[in-house]
Order: sequence, then structure tokens, then C-alpha cells
Amino acid sequence: MSRKSYSKHIPDFRLVTHYAESRTSLIHRMNPWTKMVLLLFVILFVVIIQDSYLLAILLVATVAFYVTARLPLTLLLGWYSLPVFFVLTLSVLFVFSEPGRQLAGFELLGARIALTESGVLLVVNLLMRALAAVTFSLAVFMTTRYTNIAVIASKILPKPLDSIFLLSYRFTFETSDEIADVLDAMRSRSGGLVKGVSRQTKMFASIIGLAFVHAFERAERIAKAMEARGFNGAFPMTEEIPRMRYLDYALIALVATALAIVAYSRYFNNLIGW
Amino acid sequence: MAHVHLEDGAFTLFWVLVWFAVAASIISIAWYRLGRDQIPTRKLAIASMCVAVGFAAFQIEIPVFGGIHLNLTPLMGILVGPALGSFCVLTINIFSAAIGHGGWSMIGANTLVNSVEVFLGYYVYLFLRRYVKLGRFYSGFGAASTALTVSALIAVAIVSISLIQGSTQTRAQTMANMTVLAIGNIIMGVFEGIVTGYIVSFLGRVRPDLIGESAPATVPSSGIPTEAAADV
Repeated sequence: MSRKSYSKHIPDFRLVTHYAESRTSLIHRMNPWTKMVLLLFVILFVVIIQDSYLLAILLVATVAFYVTARLPLTLLLGWYSLPVFFVLTLSVLFVFSEPGRQLAGFELLGARIALTESGVLLVVNLLMRALAAVTFSLAVFMTTRYTNIAVIASKILPKPLDSIFLLSYRFTFETSDEIADVLDAMRSRSGGLVKGVSRQTKMFASIIGLAFVHAFERAERIAKAMEARGFNGAFPMTEEIPRMRYLDYALIALVATALAIVAYSRYFNNLIGW
Repeated sequence: MAHVHLEDGAFTLFWVLVWFAVAASIISIAWYRLGRDQIPTRKLAIASMCVAVGFAAFQIEIPVFGGIHLNLTPLMGILVGPALGSFCVLTINIFSAAIGHGGWSMIGANTLVNSVEVFLGYYVYLFLRRYVKLGRFYSGFGAASTALTVSALIAVAIVSISLIQGSTQTRAQTMANMTVLAIGNIIMGVFEGIVTGYIVSFLGRVRPDLIGESAPATVPSSGIPTEAAADV
């Protein structure tokens, strides 16, 4: 893990994988299948829960899971910027247009623009939903080794999606390094000082174009090598994931029960009463 | 970014399942068009490398207008076609969901939006290049801008039909709100169109065969380039 990432607000897959491969914690030792099932449950919780208090509890629980995995919180906060950006771009106008009690307001071009309580609550709920899902997802991928993810992907994804997923996952690292090399070379030759939208756009377009040219050339070489080795559409997996233990089943049963109660409350009869 | 990615929890379970079903239909058509289980290894490798580059390139911040990121989905359509491109965008959406760039439950809706970009990127480029006889830059620009404009409108339609979970607004009010967002996305889409135009021009100079134009001369074992050999 010697390369720096290009962006502080976009999770770097190399860094994600680095934490999965090199760190150790209770969550790292958890069975990968258990983590994947829990991820599915967290997504269902996020979609089904409507209550703000329950969403807050879910968010705290996912952050606790992340912290238990001994992963850096500062990194997570930086990586929150992307989902926060997406949620805000989607919902910012709802803050002002959602009917409800006004919290503040101002006149703009003769029209009254008001911040409403339900508008703010809507955005807060959407943020909690998105951040809970992102936190748990990152925690799972930052604690599960590549070989285990490869085994799970090969078992749950249909053909040929599994092959594309496994190959692209493998080559994401090489491609990232290659693009980083070109960017470093550009900066070392004072390319970062180039000004003007047109010149900068052309320069970055050439970098991306070059990455695609190299990618196609590599793809042709890889395809020949795969065929020469008798590739039949399936990647042989050299490592198996250990079977789940009673503790894994107990944890899944516990979370499934909570999910069933939440779903029943949402769609049939409100048991929670909040 | 030139289009919005929907995060987990934005839609109800019903609409999550509906958009998954629509995306599954698109992927099934693409799978059928590619030859079902008999997809050549070369195509698999090209799709995988496209995903890897698309995912890596997305992480580069282009330092104009305060820093922007590109999606490159219309470019993928131009390079690999709509069927293989649909597989590429689905895989990218799975990777993206893992890191919070779009939600797991939104893979269906996001794949639908991206598949439209790939589909239009390919066919509009083909139309402008072959039938309107435009240059590579203008064809690439036109294809990407059109694809991203239409996809921005489709994103508005998807959100307006599904409605935001927890919002009490009607479909018409939601559409009005989302239209403002779509205008911003369309402006960014035009910028991505310019970048795509430059990339297509670059590819046309160094590897025209990648964008469906005349293949470069290769040197066979005889030592005579194929184009020259054909003339002999």
C-alpha cells in the first residue's frame, strides 16, 4: 500500500483492500458469508424503517460495527462526502417545498421560500439511511479479504457477470496504478500548472484515452492467455470460505427477527408505536 | 458529476423491486444479444478492462469548474457497444455501491439510467459519424451530450414515478423539484460531452480500430504490413 489515492472524498479500492488484507479484528475474523447476509439485512432495514429514532439507532449500530473493526473514523468521515452530496442534490429542494411548519423563510423575486420542519426531517432521514448503508458496506469490504469476496461473487453472481466482476476487480488495482503513474508524470513535468479549461480538458482527455488504449491492449493479451490456459468461462477458486458456526447462525437469526418486527410494523400493524 | 446516483433508502421496497426487474430485463436482453453462455473470452476481457478503467478514471478529479468527476458511460457505449456496455455499467454499479457511490438497493434504477447512456452513446455516435458524416470530436460530443441529457430526464422520471420515501409531495411537485436538478446535470453532461469528444478524437488518432474505424496496419510473420500486403 504505497500509493496515495487521488481523492480524499472517493473511497480508494486499494486502501479498502489494504485494510481487509493487513488488519485484524473481531469483524475481520467474522465469517464472510455472515457479513454479506448482515449487509443485505442492513440494506433492507434502511429501505423499510421510516422512524427517525430507529434510523438513528441503525446508523449508530453501523458506526459501532465499523469502529469494532478498528477502521479509521477520519477516513470514513472524508468518504461520507460522496453519499452526502448525492442525498443533498436529490433532496435539497424538498427542504423548501415540503409542506409543514415553517422554521425560517425569506422572499426571493416576490416568492416566499420557507424552510419547513418536515422538509428538514426528510433530508435528515435520507442522510441517515444513506450513511448507515455506506458505513456498513465499507466496513464489510474493509474487513473481507479479496479471495473471500471472489468466492462469494463467483457463487452469487450469474454468468458471465461473475467473470466480468472478478476480472475487473483484479484489474482495477493495476489500472489505478497506471493512471496514477501518468498523473504523477504529468505533475512532475509541471503539467499541474497548466491553466485554461480547454487545455486542461484536452490534457485529461488524453490521459483517460491513453488508459483505454492500454486497457484494450491488455484485454487482448489477457484473453489470449486465458484461452491458452483452457479458460472455460469459470475461474477456479483455490480457497474456500469456512462453514458458518452456531454463533453466526444465532447472530443472523437475531437480526432477522428484528427485521421481521420492523417489516411487520411498517406493512401490517405498528408494533413499535413511535 | 454528470448524473445523479440514487442512495439507499430513497425509494420504497416496492419501487426498488420494480426497478430491479426493469434492469434485469435489460441485462437479459444484453445477455441474449451477446450469445448467452457463449460470450467470447476476448469480449469478457474487454468488458472487464473497461470497468476497471471507468472505475479508476471516475476517481480522477478534473480541476475545472471547481473539480468534476466523469462517468464515461457514453464513451463505454461507443467503445464496446450497448450489450457489453450494459454488463459494464451493472458491474460498475456493484463496485460503486460497495463504496457509497449509489446504493445497493438502487442498483436497478442506476443500471437503467446508465444503460440508457451506453445505448444512446453507441447509437447516436454511429448515426452522427456514419450518416451525418461529422468529425470524431463532434460525433463524440453529440453522442455523450445527448445520452447524458436523456438519462438526466429519465432519472427525473424514475424519481417522479417512485417518489422519495417519506416525502408527502405529489408526482407533479416531485418532478418540478427534480427538473431543477436535471438542468444542472444536463449542463455537466455537456461538459462531459466535450471531454468525450476529445477522448474520441485522441482514440481516432492512436487506435481508430477501437472506435469502429479502419484498423491500424499490423506486421504479420512475412514482415509486410497487412495493408501493404493487400496491395501486393
